[in-house]
Amino acid sequence: MPSSISSFERTIPGLPWRSLALMAALLTLVATVAWEIRARTLGYTPVLNDTPDLWADWRERVKPDSIVIIGDSRALFDTDLDAMEQGLGQRPVQLALVGSCAYPILENLANDENFHGTVISSLIPLMWLAPPPAPPYQNSLKALKRYHSRNIAQRASHHLGMFLEEHLAFMKQEDLTLEQLLKRVEIPDRPSFHGPPPLPPYFQATERDRRTRMTETAAKPGPLQDRVKTGWLPLFTPPPPPSYVPPEAFAKFMGATIEQRFADTAAAVKKIQARGGKVVFVRFPVVGPLKEHEDKLTPKAGPWTRIINESGAAGIYFSDYPELIFDCPEWSHLSGTDSVEFTKRLVPHLKKALGR
Amino acid sequence: MLFNSLTFVVFFAIVLAGYWAIKSWQARKNLLLVASYIFYGAWNPPFALLLFATTALDFLLGAQIAAAKNPSARKAWMVASVTSNLSMLGFFKYGNFLLENFQWLLARAGVAYQPPHLDIFLPIGISFYTFHSLSYTLDVYRRVCEPTKSLRDFTLAVSFFPQLVAGPIVRAADFLPQLVTAPSLRAGQFAWGLLLMTLGMFQKIVLADTLLATSADAVFGYAGPLQTLDTWTGVLAFSGQIFFDFAGYSTCAIGAALCLGFHLKDNFRSPYAAIGFSDFWRRWHISLSTFLRDFLYIPLGGNRSGPARAAINLMIVMFIGGLWHGAAWTFVVWGLIHGIFLVIERGLTALCGDAAWTKNFVIKLLLGLGTYAVVCLAWVFFRATNFTAAAHLLGSMAGAGPKGEAILPTREILQVALVTAGLLLAHWNLRDTSIEAVVARMPRGLVIALWTLMLSAIILTQGNGNAFIYFQF
Repeated sequence: MPSSISSFERTIPGLPWRSLALMAALLTLVATVAWEIRARTLGYTPVLNDTPDLWADWRERVKPDSIVIIGDSRALFDTDLDAMEQGLGQRPVQLALVGSCAYPILENLANDENFHGTVISSLIPLMWLAPPPAPPYQNSLKALKRYHSRNIAQRASHHLGMFLEEHLAFMKQEDLTLEQLLKRVEIPDRPSFHGPPPLPPYFQATERDRRTRMTETAAKPGPLQDRVKTGWLPLFTPPPPPSYVPPEAFAKFMGATIEQRFADTAAAVKKIQARGGKVVFVRFPVVGPLKEHEDKLTPKAGPWTRIINESGAAGIYFSDYPELIFDCPEWSHLSGTDSVEFTKRLVPHLKKALGR
Repeated sequence: MLFNSLTFVVFFAIVLAGYWAIKSWQARKNLLLVASYIFYGAWNPPFALLLFATTALDFLLGAQIAAAKNPSARKAWMVASVTSNLSMLGFFKYGNFLLENFQWLLARAGVAYQPPHLDIFLPIGISFYTFHSLSYTLDVYRRVCEPTKSLRDFTLAVSFFPQLVAGPIVRAADFLPQLVTAPSLRAGQFAWGLLLMTLGMFQKIVLADTLLATSADAVFGYAGPLQTLDTWTGVLAFSGQIFFDFAGYSTCAIGAALCLGFHLKDNFRSPYAAIGFSDFWRRWHISLSTFLRDFLYIPLGGNRSGPARAAINLMIVMFIGGLWHGAAWTFVVWGLIHGIFLVIERGLTALCGDAAWTKNFVIKLLLGLGTYAVVCLAWVFFRATNFTAAAHLLGSMAGAGPKGEAILPTREILQVALVTAGLLLAHWNLRDTSIEAVVARMPRGLVIALWTLMLSAIILTQGNGNAFIYFQF
């Protein structure tokens, strides 16, 4: 028998491994506790991360006649599920996603032959018309991919992760991971470098049903609110065309993509309507320089009106109704308290739009 | 199930507790078998049946090879095993690739043929477990090992969860003897296994996924021209990422096996300190290179029929080695680049292999860095999605082509530079030794500090459950 199959044994370094392991475990525990205390000192609390897995949990719970909320972070922050349940008589499923273009989600519901419920969708034209390679579109695809393909092990990890997130403040994937902490290291970039604008810090609390509220710290004037505010204008400014694509070709591509999106949106809405479902688009409150910026780039008479007209869906534009005009502490979202009142005032408009 | 997931942490703790609590060796093996199939089935349960079918077929064919009375019958059963394994691999992994190339060939002959796109779902780790299983029948055929009488033992040898989906490619001949009697833990074995698992996770989660993947993905995913600095950074980042990703998995596998009392051989030995390509393949994915050497290169004649035939054999082996990694011609070119350099190196070694100047440290260092540079250039074909993208990247690395964009922030460039420098330094220091020998000489305080640092960094990173790159192969 060749030597290759004689019993092979790995070398074990001759060290007092039991005490080494215990010391390493103890020191790691101390470091973790210290980091947890530090995170809480910085104002973080143990709340869930809004992950694609959590989204997929709720996508799975959509029933044929469900009321589904889709859209960007405004739909996520500004709608109170309890108030809406009370008003509409049915608890909605929250499927809005931070920083997303919700068209792929609408398309997914439209292609779900069983679905004949109600879709309440936030519509920020700059987000809705984002082309497929752009991050807002990709965010929705990422969530859908998880919904379509997650396996048993990933589901289990998600539930274990939620348990930890509900007990540990430092588990903030958008803010306190090594990767995010490294991004905060300020080193001057080359003059020719043009990177994407930084995303806002974690300033919301998410519950298991994805009810999401702005934290009280962010709702009050202060450094966190300032940090969130200053991030919006660059994020809501379309990036310049890539240097390797001629401007005319880029404009042509974007024009065609946007036209296609108008057509696809109308088709998706009509598909849902054909099965007896309903779709209503909502323009949620926005204030200050961000409102001016959005109104300048996409005035109401532009994409909003066109989508409503071409799709045949109902539309509720907040500024058309004085009772829906609220202040947004960081220009883009309502505070947790205001989101409840806003939803209560939105419900009658929704009922009217949906013919309930 | 991924090593870098919370599910695995709980799964492994339960398996360990059950395994060491049970007295009966037969019951412990049963537990490991069930655990291995849960580990695999948690990804996609139906494919566990495919895994078992492959295993059961090779078990039967192994018995037939051993029982065959004459050489031609032995050979026929061996060919049946090779054919069945490669057919399954071919269908699942290369089905669409073969159809596309068939279509291309017909088009060259003027025949317009539109093949149907087969919606084939690639079973995870199929390239690995096929080779685990195939090694058994080939070794029985070579009379290197006796056929086992226990289907349970063979099934466990193929599916042993630490090495099931991304290696090392553990040969049944190396693993089956370890199933004969219950293993006992030597002093420190369990803790050393845990330390190796920590190291593997640190390599994957912190170094590969957190510090390198972003730059590599940005550069290889960018559609336009790039500045030379960005391209080099992306390529170096990928060279580190693929090492830490794959070596991290192997290290975890070795550590997990040790905790269960099993001993798996090294799959990596400081490959980026290799001096020349023969040396590189003695250090990189050792279980694959030895598999190809024993079951392909030597049967083809090896270097027994002169330099020309040896060169052809090498190119065939590297062609197959490239294709094993993925169903795309870019992988084949990656393999062939290595093949060409292996052939050139053999020629140069024949000319001046024993010259005194080749022993000079500076010369060795320069040759080592040259090897690393060419390995990095070859990685461009491995990672790029097509030849056009690879050509653009290589052009940019050479400073040719149009003025490109700066897409990487300075922080990421520094991150990649520091990790790459650390990686090369570590490999050069470990070049002629082993991690076990280095740790044995380390002050105890330093071992504790490094272990704590790795664990803390893993916790701080929080992991994102990224799959290992080699899962797709």
